[in-house]
Amino acid sequence: MVMEGVRLDKSILEKVLEEALKKGGDFAEIYIEEKQLSNVICEDNRIEKVNSGREKGAGIRVIKEGKTAYAYTSDLSEEGLLKTAAVARHAVMNNTAISSKPLAVKEPVFRLNVKRLPEDVTFDEKIEHVLSANKSTREVSDEIRQVTVVAGDLHKKVIIANSDGDLTEDERTRVRIIVNTVASREGLIQTGYESAGGVCGWELLEQIDFESMAQKAARLAVNMLSARPAPAGRMPIVMSSEAGGTMVHEACGHGLEADLVQKGLSVYQGKLGEKVAADGVSVIDDATVEGKYGTFCFDDEGNYGQRTVLINNGVLEGYMYDRLTAAKDKTKSTGNGRRESYQDKPIPRMSNTFIAPGDEDPEDIIKSTSSGLLVKKMGGGQVNTTNGDFVFEVQEAYIIEDGEIQYPVRGATLTGNGPKVLNDIDRIGKDLGFSIGVCGKDGQGVPVSDAQPTIRIKELTVGGTAPTSGSNKYRIRRM
Amino acid sequence: MEKFLQNAGAKALELAQKKGVEAEAFLLHGRNLSLEVINGEVETLVEAEEAGLGFRVINQGRLGFVYTSDLSPQAIGKVVEDAISISRYTEADSHNCLPRGNYEYPQLEVYDPEISAASLEAKIELAREMERIALASDSRVNIIERAGYDDSEFTSVIMNTNGLYACGKGNYCGIYISLVAQEQGDAQNGFSMMVRKNYKDLDPNFTGREAASNAVRGLNARSIGSAHMPCVMEPYVVTRFLSLLAQMVDAEMVQKGKSLLAGKLEQLVASPAVNLVDDATWAGAVGTFPFDAEGVPARKNIIITNGNLNSYLYDSYTASKAGVESTGNAQRNSFRSLPSVGTSNFILQAGSTSLPSLYDGIEKGLYITEVMGMHTANPISGDFSVGAAGIMIENGQLTHLVRGATIAGNLGDFLRDIDAVGNDLRFFAGKAAPSIRLKSLSIAGE
Repeated sequence: MVMEGVRLDKSILEKVLEEALKKGGDFAEIYIEEKQLSNVICEDNRIEKVNSGREKGAGIRVIKEGKTAYAYTSDLSEEGLLKTAAVARHAVMNNTAISSKPLAVKEPVFRLNVKRLPEDVTFDEKIEHVLSANKSTREVSDEIRQVTVVAGDLHKKVIIANSDGDLTEDERTRVRIIVNTVASREGLIQTGYESAGGVCGWELLEQIDFESMAQKAARLAVNMLSARPAPAGRMPIVMSSEAGGTMVHEACGHGLEADLVQKGLSVYQGKLGEKVAADGVSVIDDATVEGKYGTFCFDDEGNYGQRTVLINNGVLEGYMYDRLTAAKDKTKSTGNGRRESYQDKPIPRMSNTFIAPGDEDPEDIIKSTSSGLLVKKMGGGQVNTTNGDFVFEVQEAYIIEDGEIQYPVRGATLTGNGPKVLNDIDRIGKDLGFSIGVCGKDGQGVPVSDAQPTIRIKELTVGGTAPTSGSNKYRIRRM
Repeated sequence: MEKFLQNAGAKALELAQKKGVEAEAFLLHGRNLSLEVINGEVETLVEAEEAGLGFRVINQGRLGFVYTSDLSPQAIGKVVEDAISISRYTEADSHNCLPRGNYEYPQLEVYDPEISAASLEAKIELAREMERIALASDSRVNIIERAGYDDSEFTSVIMNTNGLYACGKGNYCGIYISLVAQEQGDAQNGFSMMVRKNYKDLDPNFTGREAASNAVRGLNARSIGSAHMPCVMEPYVVTRFLSLLAQMVDAEMVQKGKSLLAGKLEQLVASPAVNLVDDATWAGAVGTFPFDAEGVPARKNIIITNGNLNSYLYDSYTASKAGVESTGNAQRNSFRSLPSVGTSNFILQAGSTSLPSLYDGIEKGLYITEVMGMHTANPISGDFSVGAAGIMIENGQLTHLVRGATIAGNLGDFLRDIDAVGNDLRFFAGKAAPSIRLKSLSIAGE
């Protein structure tokens, strides 16, 4: 197999694995990565930065009785790899060498359908699209003060070989465009954001309307200038499918990663087979959805990416496993072992995670809500998996009164508790909307997507800044 | 190592000069160790080494940047070629410039040989001890999520076609522990970390105890009603807000209309109790280093004095735009990125009030010990709305635990509402703050 300038024979990989297991161990693995990426950044009405980078490296892992030793290097020569294997094994305290099985290639079940590889698209073309998106965004309103458009791409080749005899070769391509806008009026500043991307090439530019996406980001910032401060307190929430899946990611996604469950850090531990959500609520993690940002053929341990049903009609059916956690639970990996780069060991991570659509009309859901908050766009969030408490940012929301959308509000955050929220979903729409992002865990970021249908939650706490009534004001008593 | 990096950099600059462009070679070599212990056993051990070059070219005002982890002569030749060819795509900007060179760098103690001399076993023992102490300090602490030790050593060489040459070697070490305490069906997390320049300053006893006490104090907390009330914040929580504030005094954000503090130099932007500096020379602090990411000498920058905004933080580009000198605040995460404005040791200076005196005069308020979701706060509008937990203050006393609340506001008001600053300055990596008191904050609960 070939990576630019680096030939890696099967025999060298086998030799490195043997070296890694010289002092014993249950399992050894070598993960080699070569990547090329580029970014075009437009800000202040001009192409401000164009940069590119090239990097390659290898990470070698030795596992013994559930403990991991890991070493990484950017030296991919045979000598460099053997040296790194020796570093990895020195944490293993045995003295008996274990042998590694001969390597056999694992064929993928599907291949990514990339039509326009990043290296086949000129900077000129990327720049043309970026500049045109910038122009149409600024034209939306003269209250737009700043627009940033970023077009980024990544092409990565990966070789994974392990002592069980698996040899996997995989190629990943990812593109992403982001538009950030800033609007201001009389000293008040508000922002807007839109992004699009996928595990695909620059054919993305033909599939989505880059200019209208950019204009949407501008309109959001401008609309939020007229928004009133969000109220503070508990109320019913209708979450539009347009809002993306930050909620499913924070409310149960992380809590269903097997490493957190096994360490006693998840509210979902010991609940397999139990009802953890309302009827009709199903949560799925699927790495095989075509073109989505979290899609992959193989995970970063060489296991097949797959579709895993986590919650089925309210009942907890499974967790997301990588190799190590699967071995601990005496089950099979669900192909969720992912890492940010060769510098990181893999851990259970999400891929494309979503609440499955139901059969209700999203418009009806709003109409049947007498009062509450309609959330049209969510930002980022954070969760404490031990008790399930989560927080996430709302970027676009409207007050609902008598089943009608009234006026926009700004500055809201929603807080809630994972298991409680899943049990409080009382309406599930038949639509489904995805959002892309980078999920951070243990200092590593991996690309993911999340999705949900339009749903209604009986109640969540909204943290707004709208002044509360006079009787609740407390003063500092001066001494 | 210096020689190896210097040769690579010199080769790149030579090629650039032949092509008639200005250039800067940023070279970094790093080695790091991290280990995690669970139940006394090493669960993960990572050892690594990496090196790379971040090469910046200014071709008649046009910027190009390419990075590589391959420092062979062929790879370097390709990097120079690629950087020059990429520069054709960016717009010429007369403010793209490189520092002049010929600087005097401050003598700073930034390398502790004991970190690499200490044995692996001794480092493992630090993590084990933290774990033992945490479990022993309170019987309700029953799960250790992770107890770890990290250290990192790096050599940085910066050279440019103006003749600038800067070389420095530094290291640091740290321990951290994350655990869970449980009681009557409730579970709470506790976390504590300590990063030091000197190996001998690591204190597993302190860290283990602090994490345990942080978890335990959240147990069986109640929720709170929604209201506006005065608050006192712990130093760690204040440093989360400082991260937002750091973006507002970043000259790049200011110049691009993305900061609340734009156009406010020499104006009162905060209460008179607020004094803020960025100091890359602060002895023994983790962000201390003789030069910034462009090779400009380290210095102490006074940002806010008694609430008055004195200066923003600049790198060479933003300084040229503003017609001032760089304040030595160019930062990069690694050789993979262009320098941009960042902080070194960003410090809200301590006052003279003790912590109990801060909440003494409060009839009803909240002592905030934890915030969640700070990364969602908006540095441009200044709006924040984040999860919070803490302890109620009633008639000057700390009473019952609170969780599941959100606090919301705008950073502009936040700065003006700081009406007292404590004397308990504490560092958390590159940010430091004492406890503070705020006149009023919007709190949502039930």
